Amino acid sequence: MSTEMTLRRARIFGGTVRYGVVGLATLVVGYPVLWMVLQSFKTKFELYSNVWGLPQQLFLDNYVQAWRIARMGTYILNSLIVSVSTVAIVLVVASLAGYAFARLRFRGRELLFYTFVFTLIVPVQVTIIPLYAVVSGLGLSNTYLALILPYAAAGLPLSIFLLRAFFQSVPREIEEAARIDGCTEFAAFTRVVLPISGPGLATVTILQFLGAWNEFLLALIFIRNPSLRTIPLGLQAFFFEYSVEWGYLFAALTMATVPVIVVYVLMQRQFIKGLTAGAVTG
Amino acid sequence: MTRSVAGAQAPARPRVMTSAWRSARLTPYLWVLPAVALFVVFRLYPLAFGLYLSLNEWDGIQPMVFRGLANYRQALFEDAVFWLALWHNVVFAVGTVVGKNVIAIVLAVLLNAELRGRTFFRTTLFMPVVMSFVVVGLLWGWIFNYQFGLLNNLLAAAGLESWRTDWLGDPGIALLSLIGVDVWKWYGFHMVIYLAGLQTIPAVLYEAAIIDGASAWQQFWRLTLPLLRPIAVVNVTLALMGAFNVFDLIYVMTQGGPANATNVVMIHAYLQGFKFYLMGYASAISYVLMGIVIVLSGLQIRLLRGESYEY
Repeated sequence: MSTEMTLRRARIFGGTVRYGVVGLATLVVGYPVLWMVLQSFKTKFELYSNVWGLPQQLFLDNYVQAWRIARMGTYILNSLIVSVSTVAIVLVVASLAGYAFARLRFRGRELLFYTFVFTLIVPVQVTIIPLYAVVSGLGLSNTYLALILPYAAAGLPLSIFLLRAFFQSVPREIEEAARIDGCTEFAAFTRVVLPISGPGLATVTILQFLGAWNEFLLALIFIRNPSLRTIPLGLQAFFFEYSVEWGYLFAALTMATVPVIVVYVLMQRQFIKGLTAGAVTG
Repeated sequence: MTRSVAGAQAPARPRVMTSAWRSARLTPYLWVLPAVALFVVFRLYPLAFGLYLSLNEWDGIQPMVFRGLANYRQALFEDAVFWLALWHNVVFAVGTVVGKNVIAIVLAVLLNAELRGRTFFRTTLFMPVVMSFVVVGLLWGWIFNYQFGLLNNLLAAAGLESWRTDWLGDPGIALLSLIGVDVWKWYGFHMVIYLAGLQTIPAVLYEAAIIDGASAWQQFWRLTLPLLRPIAVVNVTLALMGAFNVFDLIYVMTQGGPANATNVVMIHAYLQGFKFYLMGYASAISYVLMGIVIVLSGLQIRLLRGESYEY
């Protein structure tokens, strides 16, 4: 046998192994999610008799019931209100601060910046009890603000860190040109710097939106009123109340997950960049 | 007010300069003011107040009673469940840190080369990152169901009837099952970070290694792995912090049961604080956990960082 043939065989073998390993790892991740969607279309009988196969028909009643009984519509609306408000606050507040830390000179700038960054190693969960005291002391319990303000505050350090780095990468000449044209510092920022900061703002938006959309512990503690439940809280409560109605639960899970996955797949490049931004730059 | 008084006495020109100078000195603070306000009220103050709380007895309603270090003493010397929970965090940390990083490195190396369908693989592998722990926990709760779950039915279909297990109900297995789910959720995430690290290694180094006759295996152990060290520090730190602060997944799947078999420190703190209303005690537990996480992160960064490479 010639060495060339041996090499070719080795290459084909290597390629097969590579596809085998990567394919298996992908299947292990993808199949459970696909299974969740398939289960949501099965009748009660089928859920017990046909556990891992395709559904026999598109049984939609689970969705009707999940929407009606589990109040998925309310939860989705609540999650949207909380997540969008959190993102809006973080974008405004963190870009102002990030720009100041990147470009303006003032006493205590570094100290202040590193105080923000320091709290990155202290997860919000650790301070959940004093935070509970603050939120109830301000009379915010059982309001959207009980989630929005702590989420925004918790999101600030990483957002400021990322935006500061982004603004530092903007060439100074652009702002200087604007200043020479008579712009104030603030106008130069809002009219010249922000419009070209799309990628940095997108990263922060994705990071903070998903964080607020998926958060559970704070919602569990601050929200007692069922009509204010966000999706994670609503799903968990529904699971405890209707743990026999599997079909409804799979439909509710699918409704909560698939829209996010679709947006993720459509914008996967930005999502992956945004969600790993803290790790890759830090 | 003082400005107009001073201005009346001083010549016109310096007055303009003073006010401009003053506003230039003050405006930067206006830019950071909203961030600082939010941060102080909802992040820094709770951090400090929690430390004070941990020295008190408080049920959330009645006035606090100062206890000094009694809460810490109770946690460290009298509370067996705290130590059990901490031990579960250690097991969870070892399992998830090793599992996530080994799988992620292997996948990253395989995906770093030319491969058809690379984007598809990467997109799918990263997908669980966008799913909440609640969704992941509920989904896997059903996958693990003894009778109608996916896992046991697949095992039966594969002729492995005897491997069927009560994945969450068996105290000896439950924690391992939870480790598996957490690894499942994050290995794609860590893979992407390793991929970013691999792309910074110059191709010249591999060319030189091939000329020197290094096999693919040797290239991996002698070149790729040592050069991935800085990125491994990041991945291990993230996984470690996640493992010690784990709450959502366990709360949703087992609530710490069966019989404390999956109880971890955050679950213990939550139950003490919001079920038994021992808020001071729960704060003390949280702060002990925070101390451990900070020390461990610092230690492993020191150990793993090693010498740096230049190329």
